Amino acid sequence: MNENDSGIILPGAEHGVTRRDAMRTLLAGGMMATTAGGLLTFASPALAETPRKGGRIRVAMGAGSTADTLDPAKGGNIADYVRHFMFYNCLTTIDAKLAPQMELAESMTTKDAVTWTVKLRKDVRFHDGKPLTPADVVYSLLRHKHPASASKARAVAEEFTEVKATGPNEVQIRLDSANADLPALLGTSNFAIIRDGTTDFTTANGTGPYKCKEFRPGVRSISVRNENYWKPGKPYLDEIEYFAIPDEAARVNALLSGDVHLINAINPRSVPTVTAAAGYTVFESKTGHYTDIIMRDNLGPVKNPDFVLAMKYMMDREQIRKVSMRGFATIGNDQPIQPNNKYYFAGLPQRGMDLDKARFHLKKSGMAGGTVPLVASTAANGSVDTAQILQLSAQKIGLNLDLKRMPADGYWSHHWARHPMSFGNIGPRPTADLMFTLFYKSNATMNVSGWKNEKFDQLLDQARGETNEAKRKQMYTDMQVLVHEGCGVGIPIFNHSLDGFTKKLKGYGAHPLAGLMGYMFAENVWLES
Amino acid sequence: MKPTMISSTARRKPRARLPVAGVIGGVIVAFWLVMAVIGPYIAPHDVGGVAGDAVFAPISAEYPLGTDYLGRDMLSRVLHGAPYTIGVALAAVIVASFGGTALALFAAASGGWFDAIVSRIVDVKLSIPSKLLALIMIAAFGSSVPVLILTAGIGYMPGAYRISRALAVNVQAMDYVQAARSRGEGLAYITFYEMLPNMLRPVLADLGLRFLFIVLLLSGMSFLGLGVQPPEADWGSLVRENIIGLSEGAPAVIVPAIAIATLTIAVNMVIDGFAGRKRRGG
Amino acid sequence: MNSTTLRLIANRFGAGILTLLAVSVVIFTITNLLPGDAAQAMLGQESTPELLAALREKFGLDQPAHIRYFHWLGGLLQGDPGVALANGLPVAELIGSRLPNSLTLAAATAAVSVPLALAIGIGTAMVRGSLFDRVVNVATVWVVSVPEFLIATVAVLIFAVKLRWLSALSRADDIATFGEFLRVYAMPVMTLCCVIVAQMARMTRAAVIDQLNSSYVEMARLKGVRPVRMVLTHALPNAVGPIANAVALSLSYLIGGVIIVESIFNYPGIASLMVDSVTMRDMPVVQACAMLFCAGYLVLLTIADVASVLSNPRLRK
Repeated sequence: MNENDSGIILPGAEHGVTRRDAMRTLLAGGMMATTAGGLLTFASPALAETPRKGGRIRVAMGAGSTADTLDPAKGGNIADYVRHFMFYNCLTTIDAKLAPQMELAESMTTKDAVTWTVKLRKDVRFHDGKPLTPADVVYSLLRHKHPASASKARAVAEEFTEVKATGPNEVQIRLDSANADLPALLGTSNFAIIRDGTTDFTTANGTGPYKCKEFRPGVRSISVRNENYWKPGKPYLDEIEYFAIPDEAARVNALLSGDVHLINAINPRSVPTVTAAAGYTVFESKTGHYTDIIMRDNLGPVKNPDFVLAMKYMMDREQIRKVSMRGFATIGNDQPIQPNNKYYFAGLPQRGMDLDKARFHLKKSGMAGGTVPLVASTAANGSVDTAQILQLSAQKIGLNLDLKRMPADGYWSHHWARHPMSFGNIGPRPTADLMFTLFYKSNATMNVSGWKNEKFDQLLDQARGETNEAKRKQMYTDMQVLVHEGCGVGIPIFNHSLDGFTKKLKGYGAHPLAGLMGYMFAENVWLES
Repeated sequence: MKPTMISSTARRKPRARLPVAGVIGGVIVAFWLVMAVIGPYIAPHDVGGVAGDAVFAPISAEYPLGTDYLGRDMLSRVLHGAPYTIGVALAAVIVASFGGTALALFAAASGGWFDAIVSRIVDVKLSIPSKLLALIMIAAFGSSVPVLILTAGIGYMPGAYRISRALAVNVQAMDYVQAARSRGEGLAYITFYEMLPNMLRPVLADLGLRFLFIVLLLSGMSFLGLGVQPPEADWGSLVRENIIGLSEGAPAVIVPAIAIATLTIAVNMVIDGFAGRKRRGG
Repeated sequence: MNSTTLRLIANRFGAGILTLLAVSVVIFTITNLLPGDAAQAMLGQESTPELLAALREKFGLDQPAHIRYFHWLGGLLQGDPGVALANGLPVAELIGSRLPNSLTLAAATAAVSVPLALAIGIGTAMVRGSLFDRVVNVATVWVVSVPEFLIATVAVLIFAVKLRWLSALSRADDIATFGEFLRVYAMPVMTLCCVIVAQMARMTRAAVIDQLNSSYVEMARLKGVRPVRMVLTHALPNAVGPIANAVALSLSYLIGGVIIVESIFNYPGIASLMVDSVTMRDMPVVQACAMLFCAGYLVLLTIADVASVLSNPRLRK
């Protein structure tokens, strides 16, 4: 819990490994070659290796609590997403290039991006034997609209004006306005398809690769292979035991002592320990997670745009990347779209550290020589370390940053974006539209810096329904520029995700959405003997 | 070698020289007290100075105690942390032990309602996890040094109270106390002249340990974001934030742990060495 | 058992009930004082006013505090501690699955630490002033001054990662033989012993020494009673009071305070349940855990008090 936000999966193409030092080559080289093609679709597994069926693995991840749930609507942390992808399927799946691929749906067609016709795959069965029908899809999608379901995807589901069965294997979805991204949105784990009428989530009855043998929230879950899975030959493993070890050092030790086979969320400083151990490897996924510096109110873009610029120019991004993430990060450019997103605008000039400009803007802002509180917390990954680096840079331009570290407990409800300067942490989103709509639109509840730009809003609404790819890309380019220039949010780096596992585990790949193969590892990995 | 067993102190030759252990302990304690005052001023680097590349560096000429997980000089970190660890813990343990003992003495001496009510209140307090208490105190009053002292002090006072009260009750039953009572001595006299001296050794032993618990509690609180604000850190937090370096044998983890150990052992050596002299037979 | 003791126990029981009640009120109040509530904790970053309102209604959080408290109290008196807000599981079940783990760990630790502490305390008291005494004293303080997580991590590094004798995780689920029990519990118990032995040992030593300085022991020595017997039958019984209290305090820590050990060894006990629930503001679970800790503590304390009364004839009046 408190894995910052819901992190609806944001995929993106992973490139090959760029310039790396020897150690990093070891990491990526140890596993599957990363190709530009749809590496993580359900099609073929690793190129040179044939999967072996059988085996039982234990997986330990960093978060999990008694709030773990098997209800896809309530899924809020990594444990939930992984489990949901083990037991359920969605209509689509998001591949490594952020493109939706068909999963439970055989096809999704539309003319105007308002009304969509979904043809369902035939001969798919739930774990209890019942076949997949349109009624299940209708129920699964519409339930997010009810407040009582406490669905994390409610904002998206509100776009559905109508979802109805229009044939024995067909469902029609009508939106309240055009949204070309609907297939990608439906690929997030919140929209997993459950059986019509399910209200009890003490176990999971889905169509997914594994059946739920045991689920004890905050303790562990055990998944067993679904022998009747509709994807031929999959999954490979017999059984997966899945639980949480919140303490990172303990998690690493569990891996190195042979107690578990796979862990996630490795602290960058533990990487040398894992790579030095024989038989273990670390895997880096270039995800789009970012920890941002939020400036608002009298220090924000509306009342004091010069201060915002001063902060943005003062940030020593290389140092932050080196110190906070030990290099396992991509430099950010004060806008939230990550490099492996197809709408990423590579031509945006990278803002670097420029102390002269920073001083200039600081003086114009009237805050030169002043003391400003900066609120950080371990709840926002790396924010405390980043804040300390910012303190040092700020001293160089004559600004005194007074660091206030808040407890992780209650940070999101009480401190995030409630001070003139604070840190936030945003997980990748499946679409650029969703990212911008949730966090950057003028009237978004989570528009943390209070930035308002009419042109941006207009572009956003237009782009959502735009079916012409070239036009769409241009619109997103313009939006990125607007955010980069005017928004009150500083994004120094995109944090990468580090997983560690035994070299006997094969089939692993990077996914730009998140570590653990975008939470979908269970279906794709196998154990060597 | 058969050590002297259970011989009355009256039999032993009067000790003309100071106890060795007590002196050694005293020297170490004095050293740390001095460091607590001048430490931040003699540290070679700023507490937050990030060196950048050399993370978990070993001991070298440039970094006499290595570097931490952010590449900062450990010697400076330890020196800057000294006033927090020593000062806050010292103040808190005084609050806890003296407060708890005083309360216990009065409760035991007066007996009756006062004793019952205070003991019940203390029991209630002991049932509350200190983490919860710390969260409340900090949420209510902010995370400043006085609040930390108060939180740690209140957190450990009930324990001291409980132990002191058990001792007091025991001592109260002794003949000399009964004698003083029947003599008509006042409550204060009985408490301070009859009871306290006979409880002192165990109380001081407890204080020594309590000091240690408070030092460790501070590290736990820092982990929750409730302790001193970064980049300042107390020694316990230094151990905690660098725990990853343990498998590499980084000095960053070991050095603050040694600092804590030397401080607390020294405090206890002093107590053992000198408190032993304040005794009363009978 | 004579009537004094019985009366003591009865008194304690009555006072205990009152204390439990008081604790429940205090915990409820201060947890309410913490910023935020269960609905906010659950929704986190995604909270919107309507979602919050809906969840609050579902959890009954829209009712005033005292009504909620009496609701809970009423349920408890009827034997139903309520339902956890975070996941809808009955509290009894949630706790029931973890309590045996905590009790097992506490019992195992007590079984090792108490005899050890007593042995150290009495032993060093008997040879006080000698080199052995000094060395042991320094060693016990040293052991306790190493932060718990450091001990645990070092132990895991040595025994689990390097030597592979033990597992890094303490998985209470799959224990079939005593050997497996040892494998699972060895490190957590050892870590906890390092934490609590020192206080019990030092208190024992101090209390025994005090008794050894008293006149009746002097008398016994003059009478020629052998040293060991003198300690065990003359000095020790009178030292039971403070020793028992120190033991009770240390053991009560084992019920609710072992969050670090539970976290590092991934041991599903009550302490981490309590901490998680406080973070989630899951009131029914927090209350239930608090009641448990309090009850456990009171039981231990009563045993300590009874022991000290029974052992000290003067207190039996």
